[in-house]
Amino acid sequence: MNFFSVQGISLTIGFILILIGLWGILTQRNLIRIIIGFTIFNNGVNLIIVALAYMKGRTAPIIDQVVTRTDAVDKVADPIPQALVLTAIVIGVGVTAVMLSYTLRMYRAKHSLEINVFTESKW
Amino acid sequence: MSFDWLIKIGYVLLGLFIVLNYGLLQYGVIRRISARIGKRIGVKVYQPYIDLIKNYSFRSQITHGVMFYLGPVFRLSGGVGVFLFMPLIFGSEHFSNYSFSGDLILILYFLFFGMLGMALGAGEGGHPYSFIGISRGLSQFTTIELPFTLAVISLAIQYHTFSITDIVAAQQGGIMHWTLMTNPLATAAAMLSFLGMMGNSPFNVVIAPQENPIGPPTEYHSTFLAVLQTNRAILGPVEAILMVNLFFGGATNWVSLIIKSFLVFFWPVFVGIVFPRFRVDQSIPWFLKLPFVLGILAIFLI
Amino acid sequence: MVTPIHLVSVALGTAFLLGFTKDRNWKISGGLVLLALLLMNLISGSWTYALFFGDQVPVQVFTAGFKPPFSINLQMGRFEAAITLMINFAGLLGAIYLFDRLKKAGRYAFMVYMVFILGLNVAVMTRDLFNLFVFMEITTIATAGLIFLVQTGKAAAAGLKYMIATSIISGVLLIGIIFAYSLVSTLNLDGIIDGGLPLIKGGAMVVFLILIALLLESKPFPANGWGLDVYESAHPGIGAMLSVATGPMIAYVIFKVLPISGGAWNHLIAITGIITFVGSNFLAIKQHNTQRLLGYSSVAQAGILLIAIGLQKELGHTFIYVAAGLLMTNYFAKAGLFWLSGLIKGESLQDWTQLKGRPVLLFLFGLFVFSLAGFPPSPAFFAKWELIMQLASHGGYVWMVFILIGSFFELIYLTRWFGQVIGSKEKSSAQPDLATHRLVPVGIMGVGLLGTMVFFLHHYAPDLAIDFIPIIFIAALFILDFLPAFLKNTVTILAMGWYLLQHISDVQNDTVRLIFFLIFLAGGAISLLAGFSYKGKRIGYYPFVAMTFVGLTGLVTATTTLGFFLSWELMALGSYLLISRGKNAQKTSWIYILFSVGGAYLLLMGFGVSFAVTGDGLLSSLGIAARALPAVGILLTIGFLSKIAAMGLHIWLPGAYAEAEDDATPFIAGIMMNAGIFGLILSLSIIAGHPFTWWLGWLGVITAVGGNILAAFQEDAKKLIAYSSIGIMGYILFALSMNIQMAWMAALYYVVLHFLYKTILFLAVGGVIFRTKTREMYQMGGLIKKMPLSFISVLIGIIALAGIPPLAGFGGKWLFYNAVVMNGWYLQGALVFFSGVVAFLYCFKLISAIFLGQAKDRYRHIKEAPVWYILPQYLLIIGLLIFSVLPELVLQPVAHALRSMPGEGIQWDGHFAQTSFGYWNAFIVMTVIAIMFVILLAWLILNSRKAQKVKQFDMVFAGETPFTPETSHVAYNIYAPFNKALGFLVVPVTTWFWHATASVTDASANHLRKWYNGNGQTYALQMVIYIVMFYLIIRGGF
Repeated sequence: MNFFSVQGISLTIGFILILIGLWGILTQRNLIRIIIGFTIFNNGVNLIIVALAYMKGRTAPIIDQVVTRTDAVDKVADPIPQALVLTAIVIGVGVTAVMLSYTLRMYRAKHSLEINVFTESKW
Repeated sequence: MSFDWLIKIGYVLLGLFIVLNYGLLQYGVIRRISARIGKRIGVKVYQPYIDLIKNYSFRSQITHGVMFYLGPVFRLSGGVGVFLFMPLIFGSEHFSNYSFSGDLILILYFLFFGMLGMALGAGEGGHPYSFIGISRGLSQFTTIELPFTLAVISLAIQYHTFSITDIVAAQQGGIMHWTLMTNPLATAAAMLSFLGMMGNSPFNVVIAPQENPIGPPTEYHSTFLAVLQTNRAILGPVEAILMVNLFFGGATNWVSLIIKSFLVFFWPVFVGIVFPRFRVDQSIPWFLKLPFVLGILAIFLI
Repeated sequence: MVTPIHLVSVALGTAFLLGFTKDRNWKISGGLVLLALLLMNLISGSWTYALFFGDQVPVQVFTAGFKPPFSINLQMGRFEAAITLMINFAGLLGAIYLFDRLKKAGRYAFMVYMVFILGLNVAVMTRDLFNLFVFMEITTIATAGLIFLVQTGKAAAAGLKYMIATSIISGVLLIGIIFAYSLVSTLNLDGIIDGGLPLIKGGAMVVFLILIALLLESKPFPANGWGLDVYESAHPGIGAMLSVATGPMIAYVIFKVLPISGGAWNHLIAITGIITFVGSNFLAIKQHNTQRLLGYSSVAQAGILLIAIGLQKELGHTFIYVAAGLLMTNYFAKAGLFWLSGLIKGESLQDWTQLKGRPVLLFLFGLFVFSLAGFPPSPAFFAKWELIMQLASHGGYVWMVFILIGSFFELIYLTRWFGQVIGSKEKSSAQPDLATHRLVPVGIMGVGLLGTMVFFLHHYAPDLAIDFIPIIFIAALFILDFLPAFLKNTVTILAMGWYLLQHISDVQNDTVRLIFFLIFLAGGAISLLAGFSYKGKRIGYYPFVAMTFVGLTGLVTATTTLGFFLSWELMALGSYLLISRGKNAQKTSWIYILFSVGGAYLLLMGFGVSFAVTGDGLLSSLGIAARALPAVGILLTIGFLSKIAAMGLHIWLPGAYAEAEDDATPFIAGIMMNAGIFGLILSLSIIAGHPFTWWLGWLGVITAVGGNILAAFQEDAKKLIAYSSIGIMGYILFALSMNIQMAWMAALYYVVLHFLYKTILFLAVGGVIFRTKTREMYQMGGLIKKMPLSFISVLIGIIALAGIPPLAGFGGKWLFYNAVVMNGWYLQGALVFFSGVVAFLYCFKLISAIFLGQAKDRYRHIKEAPVWYILPQYLLIIGLLIFSVLPELVLQPVAHALRSMPGEGIQWDGHFAQTSFGYWNAFIVMTVIAIMFVILLAWLILNSRKAQKVKQFDMVFAGETPFTPETSHVAYNIYAPFNKALGFLVVPVTTWFWHATASVTDASANHLRKWYNGNGQTYALQMVIYIVMFYLIIRGGF
């Protein structure tokens, strides 16, 4: 795999995004920022999925006039990761929504968004 | 029908009678000797007889209850029992008593029979001094027995038997065959234990009138005291006879038995006159020092 | 069969349908949910039945009309069926339990609940990796939704922590999955497994990512703070679901995905499992919050399950039983406990005292707790047994040790919790919430657990080789516990008698067994007579009595190690429960069970090693095993030593005996104690002559001396006798350490003797305490006049104990002397005899402080002990007297049984016993002494017939009478001088040692649990570190 190919660059960016996300998750104190960290993290993961499915010179796996049923196998990129990434995005949205709703509840309870305030259950 | 058993009982009673009289006289003699050492004249040699008769004939007698009543019985049974299980004269069918029913170990443990009964009887008397005396006596006895036990084990190793008759038999043939000579360490350990067993000073804090007004028998008087005195007259000589049998070649006739046992009996008296009294917490460790070490050496060097 | 796809369709359909209902129509929405769950249960249930008991073969369901890799496929095999059944069953009961909560939260809550169950089902069944990811995510989101049921900030925070953790996990998993796809071009699990990932370049990394993610999902220690916080904060109903539905799902997912590593990860999984098991149980020691404790326990249970999964190859065909045993126990017990915790008002363990006075709930609580702790016949007991045996046979001794250490930590907190509830004097004033719909699920879980027990007992019946009638008898007593005590007592005594008569022929040919059999059953029945003194129902007494005796009987009749071990544990449990009934027994009973089980674990190891050597579980092969590996015998011996309370392992005994109820102590002390000796006979006979026994002999000496000296210093009558037991156990241990016939004869003689006088003494003292209501001897005094019969019992007891002729005790001393000189253990022997003289001290104290001396005012009108206390004493005294006059009745058969041992025996000539050293004629001794005693008594009576009785205070008292009885009753601390002289021998080093051990354990658990600081971010960091460390370790370095 060529590092400077589209695929290589995408993969690299994907991993960088993951690391940025992780950095955000682990260092930010504000809950909203942490959640943003997660969305960046998820985007990185999604980018990697898409990048892996990339095949040079091929098009999106959508069968229409350009790509017919018969030549689809030669023309389109691997459709499965593309399908997966859609699912992953949906799940990511769900997760973010749940997290945000928790944050809302937590803010109402203590009027703070600092994560180190919420250590009632521990040890 | 055989009357052997009747003859046997006759001889046993004869032996008991001899020992009782010997014991009473011996106590008289020793009291006199001790008095002389203390620059006093002392009582008559037959004073113990007088005491005994006086006590048996008291008219007023009180009891604190059944166990109190049984205490002296236990005590005398203990003394007489030890006598019964002890062979007196080596080689004499008649004066071997009932020693066929058990060996040395039986005697060792039967010694406790009287002690226990006495302790219980005195306990029912309810007098604090009785309890104090008993607790002291029992505490002291734990380590008194230890060197003696070691000596007995040493003898068992030496003679390969617990039978007193066999131990005596093995010592026949002159003074050089006595355990005293063949196993001096065991003899020494046992003789030191014997000091404690006889309850003379320095180990008489149990009953010493100065410390603990006469200890366990405090509440006993009249006939009860007489029974205890009877026991003392029997048990003292019998314990000395035990030592004679184990360490000093036993005896083949009454004369040598009486001489030897008198000398053995005199040993604690002698020590008691010379040495002051120990407290219990002093006497307990004392037996764990020299006597215990001698005992250990006796079992390992035999 | 209904196709398993309907598990999905029913759940999904219901969730959709709920969207059309209205919140106020909760009856409809709730009804729909319950109906759906019922249907799902039917589907899973029918598959489970067909797959396990019918001839149904596993099926694969393909979706979208294609075969994999082009479609998602679900599999329904035995595992899937069973686990979905577990999930759905818990789901149904959980829905009932949570019903009012869900109802209050509205139809969306019902919906989320359905989705949760759906996610779990599909995650179990799916064979597609991405699909697995999706449904695990669905489960996660649904769980997060369910955590919302509790409307507190704490719960919300826990929910967020949960989301943070699971999001990281899902990210890692997703990357792993996609790379797996890019390497082997399929998402089908079987395809990936066949693709041979580990052989492909980069494949190992993919395997790592997938498996580490799944592993993290199972909440491995120490990267699991998020899970624990959720357990603590969520509604107990949700906690239950996490533990018993999500837990099995994750375990199964790991199980099915594990093969992608080609076996390379099996041991890794097992190692993380053991770390989790030990670590979580360790930290749980310091938990006081119920749900958090249960959380730790759930995590630990998941850990031990991972061990089984990781070691499935080693376990072979037993894997399924191990896994099922562990899974089922946690399933029923944990759900039950979580649900029970929802009934209790308050979060602390202490609040569970609300259960007091509610026998059924207490029974369920005990059932759950002791099943989790692995007591028989819980499935976990068999699972652990099998696990240990298989590990041992694969040389996995280190595994074995760690599993047992973890189990021990588990035992510590579970039994302490139970003890707190049973033993605490305070009863929480709050009333538990006893709504029927919450009680029923708990009850069902209890019934389920019992059913599983029956199944496992049935399955292991051939290996157990025990009689099941006694076990049924225990169960019957539990059910009939509402009957009055005297009825249950009668039934128990009759049953023991019946069993004795029925089975005496089984042990007739083995004298040693016969002796113990008679002591356990005949002796037990006699000692139970005292129970007739108690009125009322005594709920929770007889089932435990039965348990103890069934265990004891089982020990004697067992032929297999499993049968023996089960009986041993049953006895330990029964006696523990009996002791814990005592008023102040909370702490002592806890120490007792810890020592009991600690010892039992050593037995387990010993049996394991034996199994490893011989490959069979027969008791008779222990000898063969020990010849190859003496460790077998040594482990067993040390295990049994804890039961006989050898010095160093004795601290449980005095308290346990003293605090047990007064009619329970006699058979715990006089009868049950013999179990340890029975064990020692078993273990020492297989390592006879090993150098280890020399040390054991010295231990016996130390035990005898220490026990007896300590007894002399006690003021509590029961403690005094208890320490005396330690002393006697020292004698017996000493005797058994000698590999000669005479010594073993002495030991067995002492077994019989000790049983007789110890039972007599404890019964007599128990009877006295029954009247005086105090155990402090110095508070009594002069009771001889009020309780002459008890006095005579104690008198006879102590004469026998002290070894004074003519009673049987002397025979013991005589045998001992002979054995000592024959074996050449002179110094040891002398010290044992020294301890025998020390015994006089406490013998005298016992009898004099209670019965002699000055009677106290408050006991002026006291009565003799109840007749039911007196009767068994005199039955035993008759036995003792016969034994004293005719010791050959016991000694001759014993000699015959021991004839193969080295050394000489006794030559008998009628009543005359002779060895090469000495001789003894018990009959003549008794006759001579009796005649003499009678004559002398007559002599005294003759001389003092006029003696008059005087009053208590009429004595020589310096011309006064004592003012109060207290001032002249010398009973307290009477051996102070002895203490001053020899007290240094008994400084409580053992107690210090165990206290220090306990404090260190406690403090380190307390310190280490601070690792979980409650901050979600820290938890995330811990997970990242865990992943990195794991990677570095498996790559072999940094």
